[in-house]
Amino acid sequence: MQFEVLAKCHTTRARVSRMRLAHGVTMLPTFMPVATQAAIKGLTPQQVEALGVNLILNNTYHLNLRPGIEVLKEAGGAHKFQGWNHNLLTDSGGFQLVSLSKFTKITEEGALFASPFDGEPTMLTPEESISIQHAIGADIIMQLDDVVPSLTVGPRVEEAMWRTVRWLDRCINFHQKSGRDDVQNLFAIVQGGLEPDLRDKCLDEMITRKDRVAGYAIGGLSGGEEKDIFWRVIKQCADSLPEDRPRYSMGIGFAEDLLVCVALGVDMADCVFPTRTARFGVALTRNGPLNLRLGKHATDMRPIEEGCPCPTCSSGTTRALLNHTATLETAAAHAITQHNLVFQARVMGGAREAIMSGTFPQYLKDFFSNYFGDAGYPGWCVNALKSVGVDLLEGRPDTKVIPGDGAKWEYSDAA
Amino acid sequence: MASRPLFTLTGSPLAGKYGPRTGRIDIDRQDGTSILQTDTPALLTATSRGVVPHLSRDNVHLTKAIHHIQLPFESFLDRNPPVLTLVEGTQPLHTFLGFDPNKHAITLTLRDPSDGRKMPPNGNDFVSAHCTRGVRKVSPSAWKSYVSKCKPDLVVALSDTPFTPAPHSQKRLTKSIERSIAWLADILRVPLPDEAITRPRNVLVHLAGGVEAEARSEFAERLTEPIEQRDAPGLSPPLNTLDDGVAGYVFDLQPLHAAFSAEASRTNSSPSPANELLHSSDRQRSSPETSIALVELLHASLDPLPADKPRIINSPVSPHEILRLVRDIGVDLIDGSWAQRAADIGIALDFRFPTPTDTSCANAPVPRARANGKRDLGHNLFDALYRHDRSRLASCFLDGQSASSAVPPPHGLPVCECHACSPRSPASRILHSSVDSQAWADVRPYALQPPVMRSYVHHLLHTHEMSSHALLAMHNLTALSRFFAGVREVIARGGQEEFEREVERFETTYDEGMALWDEAERMWLEVERARGKGRLSREREKQAASMIGTAVDL
Repeated sequence: MQFEVLAKCHTTRARVSRMRLAHGVTMLPTFMPVATQAAIKGLTPQQVEALGVNLILNNTYHLNLRPGIEVLKEAGGAHKFQGWNHNLLTDSGGFQLVSLSKFTKITEEGALFASPFDGEPTMLTPEESISIQHAIGADIIMQLDDVVPSLTVGPRVEEAMWRTVRWLDRCINFHQKSGRDDVQNLFAIVQGGLEPDLRDKCLDEMITRKDRVAGYAIGGLSGGEEKDIFWRVIKQCADSLPEDRPRYSMGIGFAEDLLVCVALGVDMADCVFPTRTARFGVALTRNGPLNLRLGKHATDMRPIEEGCPCPTCSSGTTRALLNHTATLETAAAHAITQHNLVFQARVMGGAREAIMSGTFPQYLKDFFSNYFGDAGYPGWCVNALKSVGVDLLEGRPDTKVIPGDGAKWEYSDAA
Repeated sequence: MASRPLFTLTGSPLAGKYGPRTGRIDIDRQDGTSILQTDTPALLTATSRGVVPHLSRDNVHLTKAIHHIQLPFESFLDRNPPVLTLVEGTQPLHTFLGFDPNKHAITLTLRDPSDGRKMPPNGNDFVSAHCTRGVRKVSPSAWKSYVSKCKPDLVVALSDTPFTPAPHSQKRLTKSIERSIAWLADILRVPLPDEAITRPRNVLVHLAGGVEAEARSEFAERLTEPIEQRDAPGLSPPLNTLDDGVAGYVFDLQPLHAAFSAEASRTNSSPSPANELLHSSDRQRSSPETSIALVELLHASLDPLPADKPRIINSPVSPHEILRLVRDIGVDLIDGSWAQRAADIGIALDFRFPTPTDTSCANAPVPRARANGKRDLGHNLFDALYRHDRSRLASCFLDGQSASSAVPPPHGLPVCECHACSPRSPASRILHSSVDSQAWADVRPYALQPPVMRSYVHHLLHTHEMSSHALLAMHNLTALSRFFAGVREVIARGGQEEFEREVERFETTYDEGMALWDEAERMWLEVERARGKGRLSREREKQAASMIGTAVDL
């Protein structure tokens, strides 16, 4: 990997960088759409590329079940299998083991789980996870980590943190011996729950291994923790992580979360949210999400968002047509997915542009003003951005601040 | 201004009225300039709720096979006024639905011709149509005003086809004829001059009469009779007969097949599919016998009518049936819903007309042969057989990349130009910031990519990924369009004799029983039950769990 920081925000911790991987250059910060089963929901790889996206995510756990490693190897790896010529990231499979299987038991050796095929006890070790990710062939691969739910407290959190560090060493050793470390880049995952001292210990350990990891992910978040705690953990990690390594915040996808993370120094994020919500008929816009299934859109001849360059808006698809087809025709899901991915890419592209031109603080202010407007700003965003020198409320004495998460969504026809 | 006729027969004139024929459909603007010209026999692409199933707009435009589009209006009846009638401009349907007026000709029908569900009876002045909110009654005058606002390229006059349980009495058939005639006259009648409604161009009429040859003859004869005096004032410019105002003839095969199988099931009690995921038309099959019966009925309709108007066939169930209707009738525009349905249930079409002389193919497995020695029309990609199959979708077509490689394979196979077999990288990509050009500097635009592998589509089908159906829909439409190109070539080159020979060869090569369809449908239903049913509510829970406090109301 070649990683170069091109510009830094003069106020916040945000930065623009260029990351060259085996399948090309990706400009950071960026949002990575999720292709769990080796397809972005409903789209072809060419359609995804046309959106200006060149780094997507596959899930190791799912691809290991179907089509299976043998099929991927025969095809020459996941890139060839799904016809994707650009950059690809795989997770380690550990997260799904814990979230999708009730019977997973973590031991020092690895994660013991009931095989979905025959119910037999099966072990996913750090070495096995890396080996599977080698067969998939993603440009960025993740260490196996010991994942505990975000809200867990007590000694289990510390145990998981230390085990994650030990598993990182096993992943590094296996990866380096494989000879794949020149084409595939291993990322470490910082754990430690919501406890700052555990996060610090984990950061210390992982930073000492810097020469043997290509980048760092911040794990163990987005599991229902309070947002005011979430951003503090992100900030703590991003502040400590080395300048010359990309930082990846796992499972982040709401626009306001993305921008806060970017301001705190995060370079990459992924989430199923924009593609999943599209299938329910929700389109993301700079003025907040639109639930296109609501009756008020039935005769609205405007596109989802004026001036949006996505294939859906630029071809003149109206809200009325999407209201007619959403959740009933797959083509409507495709159209909204295309739009939502472009929305995410525009939020991040706009951030890159603003950081390059030294206007990122204003970009943040404009975004929040358009997105939340009179509905009020989430308090945690105000706090988080204040911590990096941006006062969203400056010159806006009338703006409400909503405690908690305070996102503005369309709830019903009455909205 | 005298615009050209909608349809022109090309090639050598036929000895009689029936037989394989080629022609040309011209869609002109009001001023007579040509918008679209297509050679026939040609493919008519089916739509659902106004969109080609599974295809986003960019993929519709990538699929060159799509020229003629059938647009059932009824799904739009769930709002009043229907949203289609609120669109401004000269091409409201194209504008709203994203079709290109220079490439796509839209045929507007009230009902979806492939929908054979039981419906409440029609009345003397309304047709019962179906939308998500239930049954809606559509009167001839409402239809006329919808059509006037939508300005379709072609429109089918309302027709009284009973979708009440068969059999239908003689009296019912008589009523059906009377109503259909009256409703045709109504759409042709030019209204009072102060109304901004003009007579729609290119009115097509469904030839009514059901499975009674005599009733069909009677309907057709009524079209050619001098118009009764009381109708004349409204029918200007003066029409001597209703047929003078008709641009072409439509045949809905769905109710005819339903009547055939109703007759058959009286002796042979095969249960009909009791599953909400299936359509009544899914289990319709063709055979040489059903084709003979169809041909007899279609002849009864066409005997009294001129030969030079296009004949449009809805809901044929197999390429065999299509070929026999081309051979024995001479049909011109043919609905492809069966091939599009195949994409729903995981089938990639792999057949050609004229039948390739060598059906073996070195680098892609050919479809399976059945016990009768005949080959399947494609591949059921749900089948475990395809788990490791890395070849392109169709063995009888080459993929774009192999065809353009320095050493093309020595097969002389035609290329399947669909986006699954000959994908190209996008011509351009959206740049989201001024530094983004650095990311794409090394990437070639519009470059041919390797074809989609069967094993990939197999995987997508089993994981219930929508992309599988998008790829298959593009492929199947393209394969069917190529089939029609083959039909035209054989007719143009060898005339009736050679065409008959080729039809025979096709019938002996490919399996008409479509056992493949039954297998694919079974596997599709399994995955649909496992992954489709309750999927939305499961995902809703997931989303609620991942968005505490910020959940979107679903």
